[in-house]
Amino acid sequence: MTTATTLKLNLGPQHPSTHGVLRLILELDGEKILSCEPDIGYLHRGMEKMAEGLTYIQYLPTVDRIDYLAGCFYSELLCRSVEKAMNVELSERVKTIRVILLELNRIASHLLWIGAFLMDLGAISPFFYAMREREMILRYFEKLTGQRMMYNYFVFGGVRSDIDYLEEIEEIIKILPSKIKDYEKIITDNPIFLRRTKGKGVLEQEVAFNNSITGVNLRASGINYDLRCSDYLYRDFDFSPVVLEGKDSWTRYKARILELKESLKIIGQGLEKLKSNEKFEQNLINPLTVKLPEGEYYNEIEAPRGLASIYIKSTGGDKPYRLKWRTGSYYSVNMLRHLLVGEYLNDAIAIAGSLDIILPEVDK
Amino acid sequence: MNLNELKNIIGECNLQGEKICVQHRLHDVIEFVKNNYSYKMLKSITAVDLGDEIELIYNLFSVEDEEDVLLSIKVQNEAESIVDLFESAKADENEIYDMFGIQFIGNEDLKRLYMPENWEGFPLRKDYIQDDTRLAWNDNSDNA
Repeated sequence: MTTATTLKLNLGPQHPSTHGVLRLILELDGEKILSCEPDIGYLHRGMEKMAEGLTYIQYLPTVDRIDYLAGCFYSELLCRSVEKAMNVELSERVKTIRVILLELNRIASHLLWIGAFLMDLGAISPFFYAMREREMILRYFEKLTGQRMMYNYFVFGGVRSDIDYLEEIEEIIKILPSKIKDYEKIITDNPIFLRRTKGKGVLEQEVAFNNSITGVNLRASGINYDLRCSDYLYRDFDFSPVVLEGKDSWTRYKARILELKESLKIIGQGLEKLKSNEKFEQNLINPLTVKLPEGEYYNEIEAPRGLASIYIKSTGGDKPYRLKWRTGSYYSVNMLRHLLVGEYLNDAIAIAGSLDIILPEVDK
Repeated sequence: MNLNELKNIIGECNLQGEKICVQHRLHDVIEFVKNNYSYKMLKSITAVDLGDEIELIYNLFSVEDEEDVLLSIKVQNEAESIVDLFESAKADENEIYDMFGIQFIGNEDLKRLYMPENWEGFPLRKDYIQDDTRLAWNDNSDNA
Protein backbone atom coordinates (compact mmCIF):
# COMPACT_ATOMS: atom_id res chain seq x y z
CA MET A 1 0.00 0.00 0.00
CA THR A 2 2.35 2.65 -1.24
CA THR A 3 1.11 6.14 -0.48
CA ALA A 4 2.42 9.48 -1.60
CA THR A 5 4.82 9.68 1.33
CA THR A 6 6.25 6.16 1.19
CA LEU A 7 8.74 4.72 -1.23
CA LYS A 8 9.13 1.18 -2.48
CA LEU A 9 12.76 0.16 -2.75
CA ASN A 10 14.01 -2.93 -4.47
CA LEU A 11 17.09 -4.29 -2.74
CA GLY A 12 18.78 -6.92 -4.85
CA PRO A 13 18.70 -9.48 -6.34
CA GLN A 14 22.13 -8.53 -7.65
CA HIS A 15 23.27 -6.43 -4.74
CA PRO A 16 26.82 -7.38 -3.68
CA SER A 17 25.90 -7.68 -0.03
CA THR A 18 22.93 -9.98 -0.41
CA HIS A 19 25.23 -13.04 -0.41
CA GLY A 20 23.83 -14.54 -3.54
CA VAL A 21 20.58 -13.59 -5.10
CA LEU A 22 18.17 -12.38 -2.48
CA ARG A 23 15.65 -9.71 -3.31
CA LEU A 24 14.10 -7.64 -0.55
CA ILE A 25 11.17 -5.39 -1.38
CA LEU A 26 11.26 -2.64 1.18
CA GLU A 27 8.69 0.01 1.84
CA LEU A 28 10.27 3.13 3.24
CA ASP A 29 9.08 6.21 5.03
CA GLY A 30 12.07 8.47 4.74
CA GLU A 31 14.78 6.04 5.79
CA LYS A 32 12.61 4.02 8.11
CA ILE A 33 11.50 0.57 6.95
CA LEU A 34 7.75 0.07 7.14
CA SER A 35 7.61 -3.40 5.67
CA CYS A 36 9.88 -5.96 4.09
CA GLU A 37 9.00 -8.75 1.71
CA PRO A 38 11.75 -11.21 0.80
CA ASP A 39 11.54 -12.62 -2.69
CA ILE A 40 13.46 -15.86 -3.13
CA GLY A 41 13.72 -18.61 -5.70
CA TYR A 42 16.43 -17.24 -8.01
CA LEU A 43 18.68 -20.20 -7.25
CA HIS A 44 16.11 -22.97 -7.20
CA ARG A 45 17.56 -26.16 -8.62
CA GLY A 46 14.86 -28.59 -7.62
CA MET A 47 17.00 -30.58 -5.21
CA GLU A 48 13.95 -32.41 -3.83
CA LYS A 49 12.45 -33.28 -7.20
CA MET A 50 15.84 -34.37 -8.47
CA ALA A 51 16.16 -36.87 -5.62
CA GLU A 52 13.04 -38.73 -6.75
CA GLY A 53 14.65 -39.56 -10.07
CA LEU A 54 18.13 -40.54 -8.90
CA THR A 55 19.44 -43.48 -6.94
CA TYR A 56 21.05 -42.68 -3.61
CA ILE A 57 24.60 -42.83 -4.88
CA GLN A 58 23.72 -40.69 -7.89
CA TYR A 59 22.19 -38.12 -5.60
CA LEU A 60 25.07 -38.03 -3.13
CA PRO A 61 27.41 -35.71 -5.11
CA THR A 62 24.69 -33.10 -5.59
CA VAL A 63 23.87 -32.55 -1.93
CA ASP A 64 27.11 -30.63 -1.32
CA ARG A 65 25.59 -27.91 -3.47
CA ILE A 66 22.74 -27.22 -1.07
CA ASP A 67 25.13 -25.15 0.99
CA TYR A 68 28.33 -24.63 -0.90
CA LEU A 69 30.12 -23.21 2.14
CA ALA A 70 29.36 -26.18 4.36
CA GLY A 71 28.75 -29.10 2.05
CA CYS A 72 30.01 -31.73 4.49
CA PHE A 73 26.95 -31.33 6.67
CA TYR A 74 24.52 -32.24 3.94
CA SER A 75 26.61 -35.20 2.76
CA GLU A 76 26.67 -36.35 6.35
CA LEU A 77 22.88 -36.12 6.61
CA LEU A 78 22.27 -38.23 3.51
CA CYS A 79 24.92 -40.77 4.49
CA ARG A 80 23.52 -40.95 7.99
CA SER A 81 20.01 -41.63 6.73
CA VAL A 82 21.20 -44.48 4.55
CA GLU A 83 23.44 -45.93 7.27
CA LYS A 84 20.74 -45.84 9.92
CA ALA A 85 18.14 -47.27 7.58
CA MET A 86 20.42 -50.14 6.61
CA ASN A 87 21.71 -50.68 10.16
CA VAL A 88 25.34 -50.00 9.39
CA GLU A 89 27.58 -49.01 12.26
CA LEU A 90 30.48 -46.65 11.60
CA SER A 91 33.88 -47.55 12.97
CA GLU A 92 35.33 -45.28 15.66
CA ARG A 93 38.04 -43.90 13.40
CA VAL A 94 35.57 -42.99 10.67
CA LYS A 95 33.37 -41.20 13.21
CA THR A 96 36.36 -39.17 14.38
CA ILE A 97 37.38 -38.34 10.81
CA ARG A 98 33.87 -37.11 10.08
CA VAL A 99 33.78 -34.92 13.18
CA ILE A 100 37.14 -33.36 12.31
CA LEU A 101 36.06 -32.57 8.76
CA LEU A 102 32.66 -31.25 9.84
CA GLU A 103 34.27 -28.90 12.33
CA LEU A 104 36.92 -27.74 9.84
CA ASN A 105 34.06 -27.03 7.47
CA ARG A 106 32.21 -25.12 10.16
CA ILE A 107 35.29 -22.99 10.82
CA ALA A 108 35.69 -22.24 7.11
CA SER A 109 32.03 -21.25 6.92
CA HIS A 110 32.15 -19.02 10.00
CA LEU A 111 35.36 -17.39 8.78
CA LEU A 112 33.78 -16.47 5.48
CA TRP A 113 30.81 -15.09 7.37
CA ILE A 114 33.02 -12.88 9.53
CA GLY A 115 34.77 -11.50 6.46
CA ALA A 116 31.59 -10.96 4.48
CA PHE A 117 29.71 -9.44 7.40
CA LEU A 118 32.42 -6.87 8.03
CA MET A 119 32.53 -6.14 4.32
CA ASP A 120 28.77 -5.46 4.45
CA LEU A 121 29.50 -2.89 7.13
CA GLY A 122 32.15 -1.25 4.98
CA ALA A 123 35.31 -2.68 6.51
CA ILE A 124 37.43 -4.19 3.78
CA SER A 125 40.52 -5.56 5.56
CA PRO A 126 38.87 -8.19 7.81
CA PHE A 127 37.61 -9.90 4.66
CA PHE A 128 41.15 -10.49 3.48
CA TYR A 129 42.32 -11.68 6.89
CA ALA A 130 39.42 -14.10 7.17
CA MET A 131 39.90 -15.38 3.63
CA ARG A 132 43.62 -15.91 4.33
CA GLU A 133 42.84 -18.28 7.19
CA ARG A 134 39.97 -19.92 5.31
CA GLU A 135 42.38 -20.57 2.48
CA MET A 136 44.48 -22.79 4.75
CA ILE A 137 41.44 -24.95 5.41
CA LEU A 138 40.40 -25.04 1.76
CA ARG A 139 43.95 -25.99 0.73
CA TYR A 140 43.80 -28.85 3.18
CA PHE A 141 40.46 -30.03 1.83
CA GLU A 142 41.79 -29.79 -1.69
CA LYS A 143 44.76 -31.98 -0.78
CA LEU A 144 42.58 -34.54 0.96
CA THR A 145 39.51 -34.68 -1.26
CA GLY A 146 40.58 -33.04 -4.51
CA GLN A 147 37.95 -30.35 -4.12
CA ARG A 148 37.91 -26.96 -2.47
CA MET A 149 34.20 -26.72 -1.80
CA MET A 150 32.15 -29.68 -3.07
CA TYR A 151 34.00 -32.40 -1.24
CA ASN A 152 31.84 -35.49 -1.86
CA TYR A 153 34.09 -37.18 0.66
CA PHE A 154 31.59 -38.99 2.85
CA VAL A 155 30.21 -42.19 1.41
CA PHE A 156 27.63 -44.65 2.71
CA GLY A 157 29.28 -46.47 5.58
CA GLY A 158 32.50 -44.52 5.74
CA VAL A 159 34.69 -41.98 3.99
CA ARG A 160 36.35 -42.07 0.61
CA SER A 161 39.86 -42.63 1.99
CA ASP A 162 41.70 -42.51 5.29
CA ILE A 163 42.48 -39.04 6.57
CA ASP A 164 45.94 -37.77 5.74
CA TYR A 165 48.19 -34.71 6.04
CA LEU A 166 47.39 -34.46 9.74
CA GLU A 167 50.34 -32.13 10.28
CA GLU A 168 48.46 -29.51 8.26
CA ILE A 169 45.47 -29.69 10.60
CA GLU A 170 47.85 -29.37 13.52
CA GLU A 171 49.29 -26.29 11.86
CA ILE A 172 45.79 -24.84 11.43
CA ILE A 173 44.81 -25.32 15.06
CA LYS A 174 48.15 -23.90 16.15
CA ILE A 175 47.88 -20.74 14.04
CA LEU A 176 44.16 -19.97 14.21
CA PRO A 177 43.86 -18.94 17.91
CA SER A 178 46.34 -16.11 17.44
CA LYS A 179 44.52 -15.02 14.28
CA ILE A 180 41.19 -15.05 16.09
CA LYS A 181 42.80 -12.82 18.70
CA ASP A 182 43.79 -10.49 15.87
CA TYR A 183 40.21 -10.35 14.58
CA GLU A 184 38.98 -9.55 18.04
CA LYS A 185 41.53 -6.76 18.33
CA ILE A 186 40.40 -5.20 15.07
CA ILE A 187 36.69 -5.84 15.27
CA THR A 188 35.17 -6.60 18.66
CA ASP A 189 35.61 -3.24 20.36
CA ASN A 190 35.87 -1.13 17.27
CA PRO A 191 33.64 1.90 17.93
CA ILE A 192 32.23 2.01 14.39
CA PHE A 193 31.44 -1.70 14.49
CA LEU A 194 29.85 -1.34 17.92
CA ARG A 195 27.66 1.52 16.80
CA ARG A 196 26.41 -0.42 13.81
CA THR A 197 25.72 -3.68 15.61
CA LYS A 198 25.13 -3.09 19.35
CA GLY A 199 21.42 -3.07 20.07
CA LYS A 200 20.56 -3.52 16.39
CA GLY A 201 18.42 -6.37 15.11
CA VAL A 202 17.34 -7.52 18.56
CA LEU A 203 15.93 -11.03 18.33
CA GLU A 204 13.64 -11.79 21.27
CA GLN A 205 13.28 -15.40 22.34
CA GLU A 206 9.58 -15.57 21.59
CA VAL A 207 10.13 -14.21 18.08
CA ALA A 208 12.91 -16.71 17.53
CA PHE A 209 10.74 -19.65 18.60
CA ASN A 210 7.82 -18.43 16.60
CA ASN A 211 9.95 -18.11 13.48
CA SER A 212 11.72 -21.43 13.93
CA ILE A 213 15.16 -19.89 14.29
CA THR A 214 17.88 -22.33 15.33
CA GLY A 215 21.64 -22.53 15.49
CA VAL A 216 23.93 -19.68 16.46
CA ASN A 217 21.18 -17.09 16.05
CA LEU A 218 19.07 -18.83 18.68
CA ARG A 219 21.98 -19.38 21.04
CA ALA A 220 22.91 -15.69 20.79
CA SER A 221 19.43 -14.98 22.17
CA GLY A 222 20.14 -16.96 25.29
CA ILE A 223 18.66 -20.36 24.47
CA ASN A 224 20.87 -23.32 25.19
CA TYR A 225 20.07 -25.56 22.27
CA ASP A 226 22.95 -27.15 20.41
CA LEU A 227 22.16 -30.37 18.57
CA ARG A 228 25.78 -31.44 18.80
CA CYS A 229 25.24 -32.17 22.49
CA SER A 230 22.91 -35.05 21.62
CA ASP A 231 24.53 -36.03 18.32
CA TYR A 232 25.94 -39.54 18.31
CA LEU A 233 29.06 -38.47 16.40
CA TYR A 234 30.02 -35.98 19.10
CA ARG A 235 29.32 -38.30 22.02
CA ASP A 236 32.93 -38.65 23.20
CA PHE A 237 33.90 -35.04 22.66
CA ASP A 238 34.15 -32.52 25.42
CA PHE A 239 32.88 -29.08 24.49
CA SER A 240 30.35 -26.57 25.71
CA PRO A 241 27.81 -24.83 23.47
CA VAL A 242 28.21 -21.07 23.17
CA VAL A 243 25.20 -19.39 24.75
CA LEU A 244 25.11 -15.60 25.01
CA GLU A 245 22.40 -13.28 26.29
CA GLY A 246 22.79 -10.17 24.14
CA LYS A 247 20.23 -10.94 21.39
CA ASP A 248 21.61 -8.29 18.99
CA SER A 249 23.83 -8.37 15.90
CA TRP A 250 26.95 -7.86 17.96
CA THR A 251 26.17 -10.90 20.10
CA ARG A 252 25.66 -13.04 17.04
CA TYR A 253 29.11 -11.96 15.85
CA LYS A 254 30.64 -12.73 19.24
CA ALA A 255 28.93 -16.12 19.38
CA ARG A 256 30.46 -17.12 16.06
CA ILE A 257 33.92 -16.04 17.19
CA LEU A 258 33.56 -18.14 20.34
CA GLU A 259 32.25 -21.04 18.26
CA LEU A 260 35.43 -20.99 16.22
CA LYS A 261 37.33 -21.65 19.44
CA GLU A 262 35.00 -24.48 20.44
CA SER A 263 35.41 -26.08 17.03
CA LEU A 264 39.19 -25.88 17.34
CA LYS A 265 38.89 -27.62 20.70
CA ILE A 266 36.86 -30.43 19.14
CA ILE A 267 39.35 -30.84 16.30
CA GLY A 268 42.21 -31.01 18.80
CA GLN A 269 40.47 -33.81 20.67
CA GLY A 270 39.75 -35.55 17.39
CA LEU A 271 43.44 -35.55 16.45
CA GLU A 272 44.31 -37.13 19.79
CA LYS A 273 41.74 -39.82 19.16
CA LEU A 274 43.14 -40.57 15.73
CA LYS A 275 46.57 -41.12 17.26
CA SER A 276 45.23 -43.69 19.70
CA ASN A 277 43.14 -45.43 17.07
CA GLU A 278 45.29 -46.08 14.04
CA LYS A 279 43.30 -48.91 12.50
CA PHE A 280 41.28 -47.71 9.53
CA GLU A 281 38.33 -49.96 8.83
CA GLN A 282 35.06 -49.23 7.13
CA ASN A 283 31.70 -50.90 6.74
CA LEU A 284 31.07 -49.66 3.24
CA ILE A 285 27.70 -50.29 1.67
CA ASN A 286 27.87 -51.29 -1.97
CA PRO A 287 26.50 -48.09 -3.51
CA LEU A 288 24.91 -49.92 -6.41
CA THR A 289 22.68 -51.98 -4.18
CA VAL A 290 21.53 -49.32 -1.75
CA LYS A 291 17.85 -49.87 -1.09
CA LEU A 292 16.21 -48.34 1.93
CA PRO A 293 13.60 -50.57 3.59
CA GLU A 294 10.08 -49.24 3.36
CA GLY A 295 9.49 -46.49 5.90
CA GLU A 296 10.22 -42.94 6.89
CA TYR A 297 13.62 -41.71 7.99
CA TYR A 298 14.28 -38.42 9.71
CA ASN A 299 17.72 -37.17 10.67
CA GLU A 300 19.05 -33.84 11.76
CA ILE A 301 22.36 -32.14 12.39
CA GLU A 302 23.67 -28.84 13.71
CA ALA A 303 24.84 -27.06 10.56
CA PRO A 304 26.63 -23.67 10.71
CA ARG A 305 23.40 -21.88 9.77
CA GLY A 306 21.06 -23.67 12.11
CA LEU A 307 19.29 -26.96 12.25
CA ALA A 308 19.44 -28.95 9.02
CA SER A 309 17.33 -32.01 8.62
CA ILE A 310 16.44 -34.57 6.01
CA TYR A 311 13.24 -36.55 5.68
CA ILE A 312 13.19 -39.57 3.40
CA LYS A 313 10.16 -41.68 2.63
CA SER A 314 11.09 -44.91 0.97
CA THR A 315 8.88 -47.53 -0.59
CA GLY A 316 11.68 -50.05 -0.65
CA GLY A 317 13.11 -49.05 -4.01
CA ASP A 318 16.55 -47.79 -4.95
CA LYS A 319 15.29 -44.21 -5.20
CA PRO A 320 13.62 -42.14 -2.49
CA TYR A 321 9.86 -41.76 -2.86
CA ARG A 322 10.03 -38.33 -1.27
CA LEU A 323 12.96 -36.41 0.14
CA LYS A 324 12.72 -33.15 2.02
CA TRP A 325 15.43 -30.83 3.28
CA ARG A 326 14.94 -28.42 6.12
CA THR A 327 17.57 -25.70 6.20
CA GLY A 328 18.25 -22.97 8.72
CA SER A 329 18.63 -20.04 6.33
CA TYR A 330 15.16 -20.48 4.88
CA TYR A 331 13.59 -19.48 8.18
CA SER A 332 16.11 -16.69 8.81
CA VAL A 333 15.21 -15.08 5.49
CA ASN A 334 11.52 -15.26 6.26
CA MET A 335 12.10 -13.71 9.66
CA LEU A 336 13.50 -10.56 8.01
CA ARG A 337 9.84 -9.55 7.57
CA HIS A 338 9.73 -8.84 11.30
CA LEU A 339 13.30 -8.03 12.14
CA LEU A 340 13.69 -5.19 9.66
CA VAL A 341 10.45 -3.35 10.40
CA GLY A 342 11.11 -0.14 12.26
CA GLU A 343 14.85 -0.17 11.53
CA TYR A 344 16.67 2.25 9.28
CA LEU A 345 17.62 1.39 5.72
CA ASN A 346 21.34 1.57 6.43
CA ASP A 347 20.91 -1.07 9.12
CA ALA A 348 18.99 -3.44 6.85
CA ILE A 349 22.12 -4.96 5.36
CA ALA A 350 23.86 -5.11 8.72
CA ILE A 351 20.97 -7.00 10.29
CA ALA A 352 20.37 -9.33 7.37
CA GLY A 353 24.11 -10.04 7.24
CA SER A 354 24.30 -10.86 10.93
CA LEU A 355 21.87 -13.77 10.50
CA ASP A 356 24.30 -15.62 8.22
CA ILE A 357 21.97 -16.26 5.31
CA ILE A 358 23.13 -18.24 2.33
CA LEU A 359 20.87 -18.37 -0.65
CA PRO A 360 21.48 -21.79 -2.22
CA GLU A 361 20.35 -23.21 1.10
CA VAL A 362 17.20 -21.11 1.01
CA ASP A 363 16.28 -22.00 -2.55
CA LYS A 364 17.35 -25.65 -2.52
CA MET B 1 -10.54 -27.82 23.35
CA ASN B 2 -9.72 -29.83 26.46
CA LEU B 3 -7.76 -32.98 27.12
CA ASN B 4 -10.73 -35.29 26.67
CA GLU B 5 -11.54 -33.86 23.27
CA LEU B 6 -7.89 -34.23 22.29
CA LYS B 7 -7.99 -37.87 23.36
CA ASN B 8 -11.07 -38.38 21.25
CA ILE B 9 -9.21 -37.14 18.21
CA ILE B 10 -5.78 -38.67 18.57
CA GLY B 11 -6.58 -41.57 20.90
CA GLU B 12 -4.62 -42.69 23.93
CA CYS B 13 -1.00 -42.30 22.98
CA ASN B 14 2.23 -40.77 24.10
CA LEU B 15 3.04 -37.49 22.47
CA GLN B 16 6.68 -38.45 22.08
CA GLY B 17 7.89 -41.06 19.72
CA GLU B 18 5.84 -42.28 16.82
CA LYS B 19 3.96 -40.12 14.38
CA ILE B 20 0.41 -39.34 15.50
CA CYS B 21 -2.29 -39.36 12.87
CA VAL B 22 -4.91 -36.67 13.28
CA GLN B 23 -8.14 -37.20 11.40
CA HIS B 24 -9.67 -33.73 11.70
CA ARG B 25 -9.48 -30.43 13.60
CA LEU B 26 -5.71 -30.23 13.16
CA HIS B 27 -5.58 -26.55 14.00
CA ASP B 28 -7.21 -27.12 17.39
CA VAL B 29 -4.96 -30.06 18.16
CA ILE B 30 -1.82 -28.08 17.40
CA GLU B 31 -3.08 -25.13 19.41
CA PHE B 32 -3.77 -27.39 22.37
CA VAL B 33 -0.40 -29.10 22.17
CA LYS B 34 1.40 -25.77 21.79
CA ASN B 35 -0.28 -24.14 24.76
CA ASN B 36 -0.21 -27.07 27.15
CA TYR B 37 2.97 -28.96 26.45
CA SER B 38 5.64 -26.29 25.81
CA TYR B 39 6.01 -27.20 22.14
CA LYS B 40 6.84 -23.65 21.14
CA MET B 41 8.63 -24.22 17.87
CA LEU B 42 7.45 -25.60 14.56
CA LYS B 43 10.53 -27.15 13.03
CA SER B 44 8.99 -27.85 9.65
CA ILE B 45 5.97 -29.01 7.72
CA THR B 46 6.61 -31.84 5.30
CA ALA B 47 4.22 -32.77 2.52
CA VAL B 48 4.21 -36.19 0.89
CA ASP B 49 2.12 -37.08 -2.13
CA LEU B 50 0.66 -40.52 -1.47
CA GLY B 51 -1.12 -40.73 -4.80
CA ASP B 52 -4.78 -40.23 -3.94
CA GLU B 53 -4.14 -37.88 -1.03
CA ILE B 54 -1.41 -35.71 0.42
CA GLU B 55 0.02 -36.22 3.86
CA LEU B 56 1.17 -33.22 5.88
CA ILE B 57 3.57 -33.90 8.73
CA TYR B 58 3.94 -31.20 11.37
CA ASN B 59 7.10 -31.41 13.42
CA LEU B 60 6.66 -29.51 16.68
CA PHE B 61 9.57 -29.10 19.03
CA SER B 62 9.98 -28.33 22.70
CA VAL B 63 13.26 -26.53 23.34
CA GLU B 64 13.06 -27.07 27.12
CA ASP B 65 12.75 -30.84 26.91
CA GLU B 66 14.47 -31.21 23.52
CA GLU B 67 11.62 -33.38 22.31
CA ASP B 68 9.83 -33.63 19.00
CA VAL B 69 6.22 -34.44 18.38
CA LEU B 70 5.04 -35.43 14.92
CA LEU B 71 1.44 -34.82 13.92
CA SER B 72 0.21 -35.95 10.57
CA ILE B 73 -2.97 -35.35 8.63
CA LYS B 74 -4.08 -36.51 5.21
CA VAL B 75 -5.74 -33.95 2.98
CA GLN B 76 -6.96 -33.62 -0.56
CA ASN B 77 -6.40 -30.08 -1.85
CA GLU B 78 -7.22 -27.97 1.16
CA ALA B 79 -5.89 -27.79 4.68
CA GLU B 80 -6.29 -25.58 7.72
CA SER B 81 -3.60 -22.95 8.05
CA ILE B 82 -1.75 -22.52 11.34
CA VAL B 83 -0.13 -19.16 10.61
CA ASP B 84 -1.94 -17.68 13.61
CA LEU B 85 -0.07 -20.15 15.86
CA PHE B 86 3.39 -20.11 14.30
CA GLU B 87 4.89 -17.37 12.14
CA SER B 88 7.22 -19.86 10.49
CA ALA B 89 4.22 -21.81 9.16
CA LYS B 90 3.81 -19.02 6.63
CA ALA B 91 7.06 -20.01 4.98
CA ASP B 92 6.34 -23.73 5.11
CA GLU B 93 2.79 -23.42 3.83
CA ASN B 94 3.90 -21.21 0.99
CA GLU B 95 6.51 -23.75 -0.04
CA ILE B 96 3.95 -26.56 0.07
CA TYR B 97 1.49 -24.49 -1.94
CA ASP B 98 4.17 -23.88 -4.55
CA MET B 99 5.25 -27.50 -4.79
CA PHE B 100 2.00 -29.40 -4.09
CA GLY B 101 -0.76 -26.90 -4.81
CA ILE B 102 -2.48 -27.23 -1.45
CA GLN B 103 -4.66 -24.29 -0.46
CA PHE B 104 -4.21 -23.38 3.18
CA ILE B 105 -7.41 -21.82 4.43
CA GLY B 106 -6.60 -18.81 6.57
CA ASN B 107 -3.27 -18.03 4.92
CA GLU B 108 -3.78 -15.01 2.68
CA ASP B 109 -0.24 -14.77 1.34
CA LEU B 110 0.07 -17.93 -0.73
CA LYS B 111 2.00 -17.21 -3.90
CA ARG B 112 4.50 -18.83 -6.24
CA LEU B 113 7.79 -19.07 -4.42
CA TYR B 114 10.41 -21.02 -6.35
CA MET B 115 8.51 -21.42 -9.60
CA PRO B 116 7.79 -18.51 -11.95
CA GLU B 117 4.54 -16.67 -11.29
CA ASN B 118 2.85 -17.97 -14.44
CA TRP B 119 3.95 -21.57 -14.00
CA GLU B 120 1.29 -24.23 -14.29
CA GLY B 121 1.34 -27.42 -12.31
CA PHE B 122 2.95 -28.38 -9.02
CA PRO B 123 6.31 -30.07 -9.46
CA LEU B 124 6.48 -32.34 -6.43
CA ARG B 125 3.12 -33.95 -7.10
CA LYS B 126 3.43 -37.43 -8.48
CA ASP B 127 1.04 -36.64 -11.33
CA TYR B 128 3.05 -33.60 -12.40
CA ILE B 129 2.94 -33.63 -16.17
CA GLN B 130 6.28 -34.89 -17.40
CA ASP B 131 5.59 -34.12 -21.05
CA ASP B 132 5.18 -30.40 -20.47
CA THR B 133 6.53 -28.68 -23.59
CA ARG B 134 7.88 -25.79 -21.58
CA LEU B 135 10.58 -28.10 -20.27
CA ALA B 136 13.65 -28.17 -22.47
CA TRP B 137 13.93 -31.96 -22.65
CA ASN B 138 10.33 -32.27 -23.82
CA ASP B 139 10.66 -29.74 -26.60
CA ASN B 140 9.40 -31.48 -29.74
CA SER B 141 9.27 -28.43 -31.97
CA ASP B 142 11.37 -28.25 -35.14
CA ASN B 143 13.99 -25.91 -33.77
CA ALA B 144 14.76 -28.21 -30.86
